[in-house]
Amino acid sequence: MKSNKMIINWSLREIWFGQLWPVMVALTLIIACVVALSTLALRVEKVMTEQGRTLLAADLVFRSSNPIPTSLIEKAEQAGLTVSSQSRFQTMAFSDVNMQLVTVKSVQTNYPLRGDLNLNNQNNEISHQVNPGELWISDRLLSLLDTKVGEVLAIGDAELSITGIIKDEPELAYNPFNSIPNLFIHENDLEKTGAVQVGSRVRYRLFINGDLTTLANLQNDYELQAGESWVDQNKESRAARLMDKAKQYLSLTILMVILMAAVTLILTCLHYARNRSETVSMLKSMGASRKWLRLWLTTQVLIMFAIAFVVGSASGLLLEFLLRLPLTDILPKELPSVGVQPFVFAIGVALCIGLPALLIPLNRLLDAPAINVIQQQQTTRYSKTSWWLLLLPITALIVFYGSNKLVWMVLIGLLVLFTLLAGLSYGLLTLLSRFKWKAAFSLALSRISRSPKNSMMQLAALSGSLMLVALIWLIKSDLLGDWQQTLSPDAPNVFAINISPEQQQGYLQQVDTLKLPHSDTFAIIRGRWTAINGVNNTEHPSYNEENIRILRREINFTWAKELPVYNEVVAGEWKGEKNVSIAQGVAEELGVVIGDKLTFEVNSQSFTATVNSIRAVEWQSLKPNFVFIFSEDVVENLPATWMLSFRAEESQTHLVNQLARLYPTVTLLDLRTMANKIQGLLRQISWSLTGLAALGVVGGVLLIFTLLRLSLSERKREITLYRTLGASKKRISHTLWAEYGLLAISAGLVAAIAAEIILYSLMTWGFELPTQLHPTMWLVLPLLAVLIVFVSLSSVIKQLLKPLR
Amino acid sequence: MGTSGAGKSTLMSLLAGLDQPTTGSITLLDSTISAMDDEQRAKIRGESIGFVFQNFLLIPSLTALQNVTLPMVLRGNEDEESNNLKAKALLKEVGLAGRETHLPTQLSGGEQQRVALARAFVTQPKILFADEPTGNLDQKTAQHIIELLFAMNKEQGTTLVLVTHDAELAKRCQRTLIINDGQCQESA
Repeated sequence: MKSNKMIINWSLREIWFGQLWPVMVALTLIIACVVALSTLALRVEKVMTEQGRTLLAADLVFRSSNPIPTSLIEKAEQAGLTVSSQSRFQTMAFSDVNMQLVTVKSVQTNYPLRGDLNLNNQNNEISHQVNPGELWISDRLLSLLDTKVGEVLAIGDAELSITGIIKDEPELAYNPFNSIPNLFIHENDLEKTGAVQVGSRVRYRLFINGDLTTLANLQNDYELQAGESWVDQNKESRAARLMDKAKQYLSLTILMVILMAAVTLILTCLHYARNRSETVSMLKSMGASRKWLRLWLTTQVLIMFAIAFVVGSASGLLLEFLLRLPLTDILPKELPSVGVQPFVFAIGVALCIGLPALLIPLNRLLDAPAINVIQQQQTTRYSKTSWWLLLLPITALIVFYGSNKLVWMVLIGLLVLFTLLAGLSYGLLTLLSRFKWKAAFSLALSRISRSPKNSMMQLAALSGSLMLVALIWLIKSDLLGDWQQTLSPDAPNVFAINISPEQQQGYLQQVDTLKLPHSDTFAIIRGRWTAINGVNNTEHPSYNEENIRILRREINFTWAKELPVYNEVVAGEWKGEKNVSIAQGVAEELGVVIGDKLTFEVNSQSFTATVNSIRAVEWQSLKPNFVFIFSEDVVENLPATWMLSFRAEESQTHLVNQLARLYPTVTLLDLRTMANKIQGLLRQISWSLTGLAALGVVGGVLLIFTLLRLSLSERKREITLYRTLGASKKRISHTLWAEYGLLAISAGLVAAIAAEIILYSLMTWGFELPTQLHPTMWLVLPLLAVLIVFVSLSSVIKQLLKPLR
Repeated sequence: MGTSGAGKSTLMSLLAGLDQPTTGSITLLDSTISAMDDEQRAKIRGESIGFVFQNFLLIPSLTALQNVTLPMVLRGNEDEESNNLKAKALLKEVGLAGRETHLPTQLSGGEQQRVALARAFVTQPKILFADEPTGNLDQKTAQHIIELLFAMNKEQGTTLVLVTHDAELAKRCQRTLIINDGQCQESA
């Protein structure tokens, strides 16, 4: 018992005075980072889920083209779930002076179950519910119909007076062609409109709220019929994709930070084991048994884990708090609690990495022969029994990240690249040493090539951390860049459709006169795609797939002399006649290639065109985009209307309304409110990501810092020898700077190459986004490496070169 | 005694059970240590053998006192009070009274070796192996350490096996063996 007390005491001193503290710092860093990042990630994810649900107006939505089955409603209510139903349809709304196609949403009083519905009545009072007898319409509809609050509108057969204006509503419509002005009426008034009859096109929704398991059970128990589908936060198209990528990014960042900390942990631990082998030999010579030594080392490991866990958790929480500070405006006041999950996760990660990293070298330490106290043995046979510990992190990776393509890509990429690149740059440095250089340089080069294993390790660790830092930052920038491009400040936000051929020129001129930035005009021909190379689409294997609707639905076709500049041609060439250009995504999904003959049908008129080019189309860009663009000759005789998109600021609403009045038959789709909402969401997510990335980078830089200082302190003996042999301070410091400078520059370059390659694969296969080269990184990384080397080593070198005693 | 590379240290490693002979057998204190495994030999070392090394080999994170009591702890002697008492007495004997709480880095080379002497004698070993105990010290300090070593040796009645290349030092021992190229012979 007392000997235990002595061992504990000794272990504490060892951590404090000995070389164990860098090991503990690395361990603490792992725990702190994991706690901070996973707490934040968990919180952000919860907030994101919350927002996703807000967009949906509920936790789960059942959609159907038929009235909602009563059995489903009953089942949901029995299970204790909250439900609210909605029917929506399009009809004409008439004011005294005007008429307009509108989307009517008939809802129950408890709508929405999630998110905000803000309605502003005549007296400027805000209410959040639609009550029987009320009619709420959008601001734009008010001006389109040239009416005002309090006046009567005819919605189908019903006559209702306008109660007020819709300020905010959940359920954003992403499809611009669906974005016909909205109005809300109460379910009780639905029948009066007479709009819902046999054959009329009504879409029904049932909003459901409740706990996740009950919701999942409800979904599982119900057998979907044709025309029915479930929508939950995970499925909702664009917002979900966005959040999906944000989540992927979060887990990637955590993984990279862990990787960096793991590298440091392993290196510091190896360093410790090397330095302690003499002590172990000495203890053995004094009669210490393996059992005692094991107890001694185990106590040290346990104490380190305990301290690292306490200190790491506390600093992790602090870190998370600091990280959250700039996000206070974005995150809700009351943060979702995270429970113990981050701590359990952190200790799990620390054990998975720490146990093999600590125990493998420490176990080898047990094999240090006692004879080393008298005579240093040339070779010592170390047992490899503890290598099985490596299974721990590997198993954990497979269990937790098994299906995460991104993670495996990063890991395998890292492994392959580093072996390749470290070898390459080492070869390069060895090659350099063949030439004649100044003394400092040739000394440095010879030192690098003299201890290949050591130099390679250093090179790999340094360039590895640098690369991870670069990756964390670049992925963030690329993701945000892509999102921002989606809704760039000058993206069009109003679409004018149904422009008749006679109006086309006049309309274009009018938009020009009003000085609204606009797109080209495009012909719109509604039709269907019926066959590929003569084989009917109904026989296509993907015909019945839920997500591939293009084979079944009506599509907007257009023709063009030149393809839009924002559509990059990725295959083939746009020229000749009887041709069609197809969007890349659709072509890949359905296996359409250049030269395929596609058949289409417009107004029962069938025609065929040959695929001559494939275009990359960014559907999120809100620019007019088409799956099929024909050469003019194919469709010139078909009936067409025209469309164009333009940008109108909030202050230019009167111009939009002026256009609407001048061309009453042209339908205007005003996406401004929606665009603002999406932009808001994007801003929030990008802030969180920037914060995370910054943390990752800071963590990485810190690790590189520790690493370098460690490697230099190992050189102490050698430097003392040089000094003893009479090397001048200047010579030694020049040699050291040359060596580490060369190492830093080559590590920076290696990191840049590796980051570029991994980034390319990640973006292409992981995030499915376009990629580009990052020339600034090629400059920044080597510079950053040199800077870090300079900052972290100058004090150590100064200390090493203190006058000899 | 012997020149560098003659095999002095190898012989000592074998005698102390730090290493195993490839052929032949070694008997130490009535035990055939060449037939024992690592653990058994460690036990014998802990019970009956002490070492003084050329490069002191103190544990840098332990105080002088803790370094001295360490062999007792390794032996399983857990009475902290009596261990400390014994260690303090020995430290006093080597002239380090009042320096008990100092760390090795706060001690000079001679002082470190004195701590090592105290550590070697604390378990009252039957045999004490000293490998060039003054090799890393200046002449004056070395002289002082040697005096101490012999004095304590006499006082405790320990068998001292001393490895050195210093003929003057060898003369003070009762028996001198000279090793040359792995061959051992009694000195004249």
